[in-house]
Amino acid sequence: MSRSTRRAAGIGLGTVRHVVLLAGALLMIAPFLYMVAISFTPNSYVLTTPPQFVPENPTLGNYAQALDAQDIPRYFVNSLVVATISTAISVLLSSMMAYAFARFRFPGREVIFRILLVGLMIPAVMLLIPQFVLAKHVGLLDSLGGLVVFYVAGSLALNTFLLRGFLEQTPAELDEAMQMDGANAWTRYWRLALPLAKPGLATATIFTFLACWDEFAWALTIINDPEARTLPIAIRLLAGQGNNAVQWGVVFAASVMAVIPVIVVFLVFQRHFVQGLVSGAVKG
Amino acid sequence: MKRPIRILAAGSTVAAMALIAAGCSADDGGDSDGTVTITFWGSYGNGGNSTQQDVLESTLIPAFEKANPGVQVEYLDVPYDDLLQKLTTSAAGDELPDLVRADLGWVPRFADLGVLVPLSQEMDDFQELADATYPGVLATNLWEGEYYGLPLDTNTRVLISNPAALEAAGLSAPPATFEELQAMAEALDGTDITAFADGGLGAWNLMPWIWSGGGDITDADLTTSTGYLDSAANVKTIQMLVDLYQAGQASSGLVGNEGAISTSEGLPGGNYATILDGPWMTGIWAGQFPDFAPVYSPVPAGDGGSISVVGGEDIVLTASSKHKEEAMDFIRFTQSEEFQLALVPTGQLTVIESLGDKQIELDPQLAVFTEQLATARNRLAIPNASEVDTILNTELVPAFEGAISVKEALENAAAKIDELLAS
Repeated sequence: MSRSTRRAAGIGLGTVRHVVLLAGALLMIAPFLYMVAISFTPNSYVLTTPPQFVPENPTLGNYAQALDAQDIPRYFVNSLVVATISTAISVLLSSMMAYAFARFRFPGREVIFRILLVGLMIPAVMLLIPQFVLAKHVGLLDSLGGLVVFYVAGSLALNTFLLRGFLEQTPAELDEAMQMDGANAWTRYWRLALPLAKPGLATATIFTFLACWDEFAWALTIINDPEARTLPIAIRLLAGQGNNAVQWGVVFAASVMAVIPVIVVFLVFQRHFVQGLVSGAVKG
Repeated sequence: MKRPIRILAAGSTVAAMALIAAGCSADDGGDSDGTVTITFWGSYGNGGNSTQQDVLESTLIPAFEKANPGVQVEYLDVPYDDLLQKLTTSAAGDELPDLVRADLGWVPRFADLGVLVPLSQEMDDFQELADATYPGVLATNLWEGEYYGLPLDTNTRVLISNPAALEAAGLSAPPATFEELQAMAEALDGTDITAFADGGLGAWNLMPWIWSGGGDITDADLTTSTGYLDSAANVKTIQMLVDLYQAGQASSGLVGNEGAISTSEGLPGGNYATILDGPWMTGIWAGQFPDFAPVYSPVPAGDGGSISVVGGEDIVLTASSKHKEEAMDFIRFTQSEEFQLALVPTGQLTVIESLGDKQIELDPQLAVFTEQLATARNRLAIPNASEVDTILNTELVPAFEGAISVKEALENAAAKIDELLAS
């Protein structure tokens, strides 16, 4: 094969690759674009066939209604407060636990770790009623605090599991060297383990934030005060599958707003996130 | 880890502690100054169409509070699909509200759990209130000989036709009998219009046909389905639907094809000639198909007459309520003309039979629904009623696909329902 034909084949392959990737990307982003399009469409034009990706009569009315009549900003702030605080506490606590599991030797270490993992294996729905009874007795019903406590508890197991694996791969020699220099356990955790585990922490942060931001069942169960509702409940109330006509435009306007923090968190942490997923894949 | 993130983490921990402390100190509230607060859960505001919730919160509840000084009503709107789950969890945790607007299928279920008060025992004037309501609607509150609630609002299904499709079939009026429906289907053969469409084979879908055909699903005492569901009358009725389906004149949504054009779009869109549906459709079409003029008529009559199915909600009082007297006053208020008629313009039909004429004055389009309600009947009032829908949906499909005979399919379904009744 001459050099020029090889180059031609290379270009052909590259084009094919690009076309396939482009098609895949379009397929992935189409529902999202449709959601954005509908959020700008007046309600009477929402369910047209074929679907309109560029609204013919664009309007900001859906956003105005979501922001004004439906009190979405309040629910947005509630969700943001709960998800941020839960994520911060969960990542802090689970990184401490993970450090202990990774670096200390103590009797029953593996047994305790496996008990922790059992928590990962029970479906959250099965815990709903026991958790509800527990929350009732400690006075956590109908409060954002009740959400934080159970979101943190629910995410500790996965985060600890994730971060332990991560911390075990950082060189133990560094830890030992610091110990020789007289650094105590807290200093080694705070100044050495955490900075080294940044990609792992980013991964844990993204997962936890997403889980808390989207959580619906528990929030629905314990929150009664309309002022303490979180965003998923508010959107669900807009889109209920009952007898009434659903105002899809408003639902999607609220959904677009709900997606923004997720995108922000992902963009901020994603550099570390990708690194976190692949590190440890190849032994080096 | 960068310093700002660490500060953020530490800061959030402090904030969380404060939040939890605040949560712990929150009390039940309200009762210290002598006012009684009764809590009421429902899903009036469902779907973001908040007209019903507005009427309730800004007209009806204030009117009740004015007439009953010292009593406050706190209404909580819960998404319809999730209300059952929330109620179940709250029942387990003994945290139910005083009053619940319960889907009529849920009353036997919660009565069976023992979390409801039998109103027919507790309220002196129960019989008087009950007598004023439609019998089919009242029956939804009956569980083991006692009534656990009163009807709050109701609805039923009637035949809704597309006028253009009727014209295409050469008809001047919607089909009034089974025979006319079959004749219409034959006339539509070869067009791209399907004679009838529905979204499944559950009791809500099927019972109007079964009752109108002169059949039933069990005996009156709910002890057996065999001998009733597989009766000759039902075989004839279901065979009619199967024949329509196999001739391409009944939509595939009937046998659970999720991809079929929905009835709410297919009827105004001219894909379907007729559907069975409720009074809320008018509002849905007004927004999305403003040019569509649906024709309402009673369910086509068979050997049993024209009999439809009752839907709607009941109001129930929970056993854990601390303010039963005040809550029962609110229940009485829900049965008043003021309460019932205020919700009519928002798409809720009154449950009080004598208010039927005033209802039609308010909205002439409700005439057919009001008339149909007089004979409409209730589905099986058993705690696991939703399983009946699953059984019908699964067991009858093979008959529609021609794999087994209608008789065989009904016998299979009857045997499964027998097991349900025995448990």
